[in-house]
Amino acid sequence: MGIRDIVEGKKQWWAHVARVKALPPDYRIVYQEMQRYLFKIGPADTSLLADVVDFFEEGAAAGKGVRQLIGDDVAAFCDDLVKGSPTYAEVRRESAGGEPGPTGK
Amino acid sequence: MNFWDTITGGDLTREWTAFEARAAALPADHRAAWEQVKIHLAAHSDLTGRNLPPVVDGVLGLLEETAAEGQGADEVLGEDVEGFCAAVMGGKGARTYRDRWREQLNRNVARKLGGLGG
Amino acid sequence: MDDLTEMLKGTLEGCVLEIIGGEETYGYAITRRLNELGFADVIEGTVYTILLRLERNGLVQVAKRRSEVGPPRKFYALNDAGREELARFWAKWDYVSSRIDKLKEGGR
Repeated sequence: MGIRDIVEGKKQWWAHVARVKALPPDYRIVYQEMQRYLFKIGPADTSLLADVVDFFEEGAAAGKGVRQLIGDDVAAFCDDLVKGSPTYAEVRRESAGGEPGPTGK
Repeated sequence: MNFWDTITGGDLTREWTAFEARAAALPADHRAAWEQVKIHLAAHSDLTGRNLPPVVDGVLGLLEETAAEGQGADEVLGEDVEGFCAAVMGGKGARTYRDRWREQLNRNVARKLGGLGG
Repeated sequence: MDDLTEMLKGTLEGCVLEIIGGEETYGYAITRRLNELGFADVIEGTVYTILLRLERNGLVQVAKRRSEVGPPRKFYALNDAGREELARFWAKWDYVSSRIDKLKEGGR
């Protein structure tokens, strides 16, 4: 990865962080907790995080609260978001050379 | 250091010794399946390892039965041993890290949103 | 009816495909449609995760359109792959529902 990619990546990341900061407090809290959870379970997918912010901005603009939008079970929402993408557990399993389990398309 | 000592602490060793003795009496391919089962079940162990013995006893019993009936180990466990282990542990209400993180996430959200007074 | 979540899990994606197949539409409208149909517990977040998956699997065409309030809104329409997937969904649904009906009627 060249210097330019790193700089470009950082710029994008800080732009993303600024968008998160601009969200209403309830959205910001939920987003930050979600990000912590998503980073724990799987390889970071920044485009997914950007999509979530798009969605949250839309909901906030429509005057909805975050719970109205995604419900109380934030973890279930996260799990649905990453359904189909590999978790760390699956990455480990694949690299161990074992049979990949049924992923269920 | 013995595998079970590592994950359970010494006080459960006697139980595991008994399990291993039963496993040693199994035919070769059942014994190989047992080795796989141990590894995958350990991933679902709680911190003390105390949630494992009842499940292990059940799975070992299943292997013994199928061996006695002349069935292959893969006929009972299927090819996805890891999936099988997750399923039996799930059936026993086992909590994995992922479950803990899930609960933590929802708890944090509930607490912090509550703090907003909304 | 309450507590349909588990049962709906495998079929909601097909329902969303069907709704999009009717006309180009957006997440909130799809949610409302499902709610009016009688699936009152379906929330926007759930529909959103399905739309995201459809998009990533290349089954829909997405267009960002300006809306009266706030940021541009994403509109979804089926592409050819999406229409094929929808046909597969209904074929599977017909199979599963006919088998289950048979079971209920006590046939073999």
